[in-house]
Amino acid sequence: MRFDKYFEPTTVEECCSILKEYGSDAKILAGGTDVVPRLKNKIWRPKAVVGISKLPDIDTIAVQKDHLVLGAGARLRKISLEKSLEKDYKVIMEAAGNVSSMQIRNIATIGGNACNASPSADAIQGLITMDAIAVITGPEGTREVAIADFFTGPGTTVLNTGEFLLQFKVPAPKPGTGAIYKKFAIRGDTDISIVGVGCRLTLQIDGTIEDARISLAAVAPKPIRAIEAEMLLIGKKLTTELIEQVGEAAANSCSPITDQRATAEYRKEMIRVWTRHAVEEAELRAKSS
Amino acid sequence: MERMEIKLTVNGRNHTLSVRPDRTLLEILREELNLIGTKKGCDDSNCGVCTVLMDGLAVKSCTILIPQANGHSITTIEGLEKEESLHPLQQSFIDHFAVQCGFCTPGMILTAKAILDENPTATEEDIREGLHGNICRCIGYKKVVESIEAVRDGKYKESCGEV
Amino acid sequence: MEGLIGKGELRIDAYDKVTGKGLFASDYGNQFPNLAHMKALRSPYAHALIKKLDISKASALDGVIYIMTGYEPGLDWDQFPKASIIAKDETLWAGQIVALVCAETLEIAERAVELIEVEFEKLPAVLDYYAAIDPNAASVIDPEYETRPLGFSDRPGDRASNRVSPNVVGEFKMHAGDVPSAMEEAEIIVEGEFWTGKKTASPMECANAICRYDSDGGITMWSNGAGVHGVIKQGICRILKIKESMVRIIQPYMGGSFGSRLNPYVEVITALMCLRTKKTVSFQFNREEVFTGAPSNWPCITKVKLGAKKDGTIIVNDYYLAEEIGACVNNTFFSGRLSSSGAVPVYRFPNLRMDTCAVATNTVPAAEYRGLGCPEGEFGIECLVNQLADELGMSPVEIRMKNIIDKGERDAFGELITSIGLKECLQSVADAIKVEEMPDQDAGAWKKGRGCAVGGKQNTPLGRSEAEVWYNSDGSIQLFISCDENGMGATTALAQIAAHEFQVPISEVKVTKGDTAITPYDNYSASSRTTYNTGNAVILACEEAISKLKIEVARVYGLHPSKVEIKGRKAILVGSHVQEVDIPSLFAPTSMFTQGNWGLQKGTPVIGHGLFCPAPIHQWDENGLSDRVWNWFQYSAAAVEVAVNEETGQVKVLKIASSADTGNPINPKLVEGQIEGGIHMAIGFSINEEHVFDGNGKIANANLSDYRLPTILDMPTNENVHAFINPDPLPDGPYGAKGMAESITIPVGPAIAHAIYKAVGVRVTGYPMTAERILALINEKKAKEAAK
Repeated sequence: MRFDKYFEPTTVEECCSILKEYGSDAKILAGGTDVVPRLKNKIWRPKAVVGISKLPDIDTIAVQKDHLVLGAGARLRKISLEKSLEKDYKVIMEAAGNVSSMQIRNIATIGGNACNASPSADAIQGLITMDAIAVITGPEGTREVAIADFFTGPGTTVLNTGEFLLQFKVPAPKPGTGAIYKKFAIRGDTDISIVGVGCRLTLQIDGTIEDARISLAAVAPKPIRAIEAEMLLIGKKLTTELIEQVGEAAANSCSPITDQRATAEYRKEMIRVWTRHAVEEAELRAKSS
Repeated sequence: MERMEIKLTVNGRNHTLSVRPDRTLLEILREELNLIGTKKGCDDSNCGVCTVLMDGLAVKSCTILIPQANGHSITTIEGLEKEESLHPLQQSFIDHFAVQCGFCTPGMILTAKAILDENPTATEEDIREGLHGNICRCIGYKKVVESIEAVRDGKYKESCGEV
Repeated sequence: MEGLIGKGELRIDAYDKVTGKGLFASDYGNQFPNLAHMKALRSPYAHALIKKLDISKASALDGVIYIMTGYEPGLDWDQFPKASIIAKDETLWAGQIVALVCAETLEIAERAVELIEVEFEKLPAVLDYYAAIDPNAASVIDPEYETRPLGFSDRPGDRASNRVSPNVVGEFKMHAGDVPSAMEEAEIIVEGEFWTGKKTASPMECANAICRYDSDGGITMWSNGAGVHGVIKQGICRILKIKESMVRIIQPYMGGSFGSRLNPYVEVITALMCLRTKKTVSFQFNREEVFTGAPSNWPCITKVKLGAKKDGTIIVNDYYLAEEIGACVNNTFFSGRLSSSGAVPVYRFPNLRMDTCAVATNTVPAAEYRGLGCPEGEFGIECLVNQLADELGMSPVEIRMKNIIDKGERDAFGELITSIGLKECLQSVADAIKVEEMPDQDAGAWKKGRGCAVGGKQNTPLGRSEAEVWYNSDGSIQLFISCDENGMGATTALAQIAAHEFQVPISEVKVTKGDTAITPYDNYSASSRTTYNTGNAVILACEEAISKLKIEVARVYGLHPSKVEIKGRKAILVGSHVQEVDIPSLFAPTSMFTQGNWGLQKGTPVIGHGLFCPAPIHQWDENGLSDRVWNWFQYSAAAVEVAVNEETGQVKVLKIASSADTGNPINPKLVEGQIEGGIHMAIGFSINEEHVFDGNGKIANANLSDYRLPTILDMPTNENVHAFINPDPLPDGPYGAKGMAESITIPVGPAIAHAIYKAVGVRVTGYPMTAERILALINEKKAKEAAK
């Protein structure tokens, strides 16, 4: 037996009350591509599993005037193919499209990718790069948390017992913004990332960098931002030397581990390489935006 | 454990099942419905031999809990053969020698169907992008791509009908 | 009608497989409503003492039927297949079974495994050759191994005489010519040490068996194991001391093997559980267990020294090889002799010295894997031949053309080479990839290079194959064989042979295969022998049936049998008033009251039986030499174009050509499939696949996410994959055919290694050539250049 009871609430209130009742004995199931293997391997032994796919608008993908709304249950493949995102939110499409295979993306969700809180998760990198805001609901009501603060460690988030992720709000980028996510893995999307680097640059007319985001995957206990690298960029124009420095700063800001996928040293080296590429390509996109 | 009523349409036939909700779609297909054409290879969604179509989309049935499939329409390899002929992809896989041990074949064919259903003019690159979640150990993929391209190019329209 | 040999007949099993109707062993569970399930508790440590093992709570769980441990009475574990020996007091690798539960459901069995109370005390472990060869290393094997009985194999063990470490468990030495003198004579010498990784064949269907307890006390087993007669049935009867009449083994469709299922590590223990519980039991490995509980390949370490003349003529090879065989307690056939065999049949080495050994480690026991150590053993030689060419300013093609053995020559063992099409293979792949030209480069991080290599693989004479053929009274043909069908298409090729002999379309031949109660003896499909061995047996069976049929037909028409020719349903008669007769019409209908029903009768087939057995080897002399060590040789060549990323170390194969000398192929389309599949398997293990260990010596990447099997994206696009066949007919092969599937993987790795050198200037000395390793070499080279 993998769990005792399955729930499929159709309202947010119903979902909250089930979560309240079961507390930490409940697990939320969105696409299930991470949850189901853990249930099968008895890594998790919850009493209740709560499927959220029947919640209203949970799979929304809606471009609004000044922001994008992504329901926690929006499927990664749908996001990756959603034409309306191409103009302002391309990095979100791409990062979602970097997750595993077509079959997995057909069922896996953006909310699941976030709540699973794997440091190597790809889809959330698009969100971090774009300063998304997580909308969380629970017995105490609804609250909003900046995506960069959403993760607290490997597999853990700011979600309190009884709370769940409802949606993401992604602010529309300023003009002159370009963003990209570079996934690095040996077999491409099939693999879990060895490292990933997301970068967003907002340029002034003269090419000076007004704002910068650099986010790193798989090199710390949680997804991190390379703040020092970002600071190096802001207020400057991109040069070969600056790109080198930024790569170096990003590499210095991470604390990777050695595991079956790569050594810590290699991960650091790859952060250097892919940060450089990410910054260069983000600038190109910013210029053509 | 409490059983749950699950309604599934599998290969066009409606089923109402009373099953434990902690079981996977793959387990239900194989163990309850005896549809053993859908295989189990890794059981953690890495190999693709358990691929089926859910509402036309290719999914890996080993990591889908049966309640997730409730109310949906499933196509397995058993659903492709018609009375008068094989599905074009099935015939093409035979004619192009795209089968060796055959264990990955059902998943490959269903993934190929999803690729062509979504994009009837899929290029080799599109096919490769769609198929990289299906691992084959024997055939080296070339003949699989040839089989799919032949169907895309309409070579089986006359003998086997539309995709 | 035209003959069928050399025709691309469609696979006879393809319909079953594309419709999902074909049953694999793992599909049989549904047929047994009261099926009991087995689940193993496995050691998490590479080497540990079992301080406590208490199964009382687990045994008390409702639904638990039996729990077996290493203390099970009445068994001689030494006789068991290595990977199924249950640990007693001490575990020898992470993954070894500590207890085996049988329960009414899999869920109960899993719960019972959790309830077993076990405590380990970690011991020092040796995880690779270098640790194991240390004179002070911990002993993996029982220190009294010299006195142990030989295990599962019937072959004599090659005991080691000079054990530099307690983990050396076998050796083989040979010396042809005079290596020390030849080294002095050499004008150029290249040498190096090479290693290869530990890998798992990873067929898509996990290892499994279902064993039915029959009402008469016998057992019937469905498994995806290979060798229903020679491996499984003989193994079960001998080890479990059960009568042959009481064991029936059936092999449904197999979801791949690549040699890895030639070891009955599931079957014997499942049969034992079935007999102990008197229940129908199922043992289904999960994917992790396929890595940790099923045999791997055996990695090889080689130290190779080649001496040549300035014109590129290689005159001497001094060759050391060690097989790393894992926790093979009852070493049966490891001595280095199999892996080093590839050093002999390819090049004309007038002076060759081989010093080989087998070394045990605390890793999963090794067993057969496509190529039997030859891809690992030949890697270093091929790398050095390429290096020699580079140093002499020759092309890698030219140097090989100079040194590859010609047909009719004798190899270093003294064996006559009767079939070798290797030069033609090499030429075709070199032309396809333009291996002697440099590809265009651009300014990006990806640098391109091209390389090539060749390989040869012996066929081990592995005993008897039988076949039976029925000519039914309606003219249809039935073929009964027991070779394995791992997916390679052997049953199609053999049906094609029978159809050819009877001059009927292949659709007239129905094959019944792999059921020890029905189909005749065959040892197993190994060493690429099926087409050759079973193929010859099928021809013999057909000839016997045809000859009997001729006698019967001739009798009816008062002719000598030589005046009758059989063409499918028709007999052509010479010198009779009838020129042609429909053979089925000669079979007399029978009723309940028919008397005297001799002669051709409806319902009774004319049966032919064929038995083929290759000639035995001649025991080698004190120098390891003999004119018959192996049977015949298959060859292949590969050429590649790769791109190497200077920033990440990643290697991508952009183009590949492979050519096989298959002898005359029975079915070239099937051969093509085997070539393309072999290429892709070799790309996988050359670049990515290897076991990575955690701190306890357990495989950390025992899953298909982190053990990187090649996906379609790791193969070049279709127009860049070339498969050629360059046959040199084998005189004793059926229609000149020989086996081919193992040779394909041999040259791919060294060809990639050379292409990497051409691309970025670093010489790789082992595989897998992972991104991290290549980047380290590139950085090392850059550092050296900077220091200058």
